[in-house]
Amino acid sequence: MSVKVEASHDGIPHEKVMAMGLVLALVSLYIAVAGSYAGYDYLAFFGGIAAVGALIWGNSTIKRLCSYGIGTGVPSAGMLAFGSGVIAMLFAAKLAVISPFLVPIAGLIIALIVGLILGWISNSVLNMKIPVMTRSIAELAAVGSLALMGLTIVATGHITFTQITSFTLDILGITVNMYDASYIGAGIIAVSFMLGAIALQHPFNACLGPGEKQDRTNMLTIECGFLSMIVMAVISFAFVSMVAAWISLIIALIGWYWSYKKYFALSKRDAAAWLNAKPFSDAEE
Amino acid sequence: MSAIAAKPAGNAGAFQPVASVIAIILAIIFIGAAYFLGSSGILSGGAMLPVTTLVGIIVGAALIAFGVHFVPVGGAPAAMGQSPGIATGVAMLATGAGLAGLFGGAWAASLGFGVALAGGAIGGGLMMAITCLMVNISYVYGMGIPAASGKVEKDPITGDSQAEYKSQGTEGHGLPFISYVGGVVGGLFGGLGGTLIYIELLDFYTASFPALNIVGEGASALAVGLAGIFAIGMFLVIAVLSAYNITGTIEGPHDPKFKRFPRAIIAAICASGICGLVALLAVAIL
Repeated sequence: MSVKVEASHDGIPHEKVMAMGLVLALVSLYIAVAGSYAGYDYLAFFGGIAAVGALIWGNSTIKRLCSYGIGTGVPSAGMLAFGSGVIAMLFAAKLAVISPFLVPIAGLIIALIVGLILGWISNSVLNMKIPVMTRSIAELAAVGSLALMGLTIVATGHITFTQITSFTLDILGITVNMYDASYIGAGIIAVSFMLGAIALQHPFNACLGPGEKQDRTNMLTIECGFLSMIVMAVISFAFVSMVAAWISLIIALIGWYWSYKKYFALSKRDAAAWLNAKPFSDAEE
Repeated sequence: MSAIAAKPAGNAGAFQPVASVIAIILAIIFIGAAYFLGSSGILSGGAMLPVTTLVGIIVGAALIAFGVHFVPVGGAPAAMGQSPGIATGVAMLATGAGLAGLFGGAWAASLGFGVALAGGAIGGGLMMAITCLMVNISYVYGMGIPAASGKVEKDPITGDSQAEYKSQGTEGHGLPFISYVGGVVGGLFGGLGGTLIYIELLDFYTASFPALNIVGEGASALAVGLAGIFAIGMFLVIAVLSAYNITGTIEGPHDPKFKRFPRAIIAAICASGICGLVALLAVAIL
């Protein structure tokens, strides 16, 4: 099983991409958490930036893992990442009882521990014999946890367990705590789970092949990240203030449009030939 | 060395005794940790409730891992009619069957434990039965190919011979009867396991919420949401690990790769131990 097929020789090494993605994700998460701690939800859009950072890291990891031919397709790696990531993320959110600033780093560490055990199982018990397996699955679990935290912050403006499990409503001066209208109670976490998992597994799955280029795949990752952020920003109208939701939505739309244009240009650059063909030929004229 | 020149590793199906024993010991340590956390009051419900919940989760995960091996997975070659099975990956198929079962079981959760488990199993089996039927209809009437297995001479259930119907240069095509039965049995096991995980978590969260001061309007909906997302996450982890065990495609219970299932069960026991423990800790009293 341990045959390595190089995905792309050129470009930035994996360690550098990983460091950049990790720093971008953690810094953005901390800005967003600090904003929510201070009582302003205008900084919720930083969650989306964190998700994009984590996805760039995860995309590079998937590329490294899937270059060995795991035999089950690229999407399975994305599903495993978010399946273990959501478990780590919700436990980390619980630790906000101690301090909300503990949540991002705790999510990272818990996901790494869970991922290390899962990676060890697949490499040793299941006898996969892939050198980067243990490390890659640990990284993917961390990516799933961080990306899900980012999307959660975009939608709700918070990351603490109390805030994502209850929805406070003021009716005629009486504060009502509703659990079934919350982020988890209403099942919105399942939407962000799928949006994140697809954004993680799609880019390399779409770009892989002999002509794969690192910058094009990364641009598609950014595009997918912002596309998921658009949906979360629309959902956030139900949870955060109107201004904050509009800020998230506009930033997500601008980011998506910019990355889509860039990706389109890169696809044109890498295409063997680009013919400006029309969908229907005017044969009758 | 390119991927085409690569030969499949000879010992890919070998059992790993040392690693398996370590995995079982790790799972026992996780159950012990649940007992310790329960008796020290961090997890609510006393010492035994976390342990029984975790054991239920582990049994459910083992059922899922066993069931995944029955499902006929064809992958990309099946889409071109060059190998038997349903033309998609293990993870996608197992998720489809398991989640259909989980939703069926979750709907029946208020009718009692046995009804919910039966509902989950039938939901998963029904989903796979419909999928296999439609796959065969599109193979036979759409692509014009008969169903033939490449791994066995005769169908183990019906005794029909396979070799005359197999096209040259392929490993068989379509869904022979044994693969169809395998798909339905796999769906039954997947739905049963997924529902068991969900119900164990739901009972634990419902019992824990009063200690966390989560009472009143919608608390049961929150327990459903929390147990649901954890069950889905754990289901995906187990399904993907089983997919890694199969490494690609499998025809059904008659395939030689089916004999690898003990490894996947041990992997599922260990993986669900750690995932289940973290899922229980999400409602810890801190």
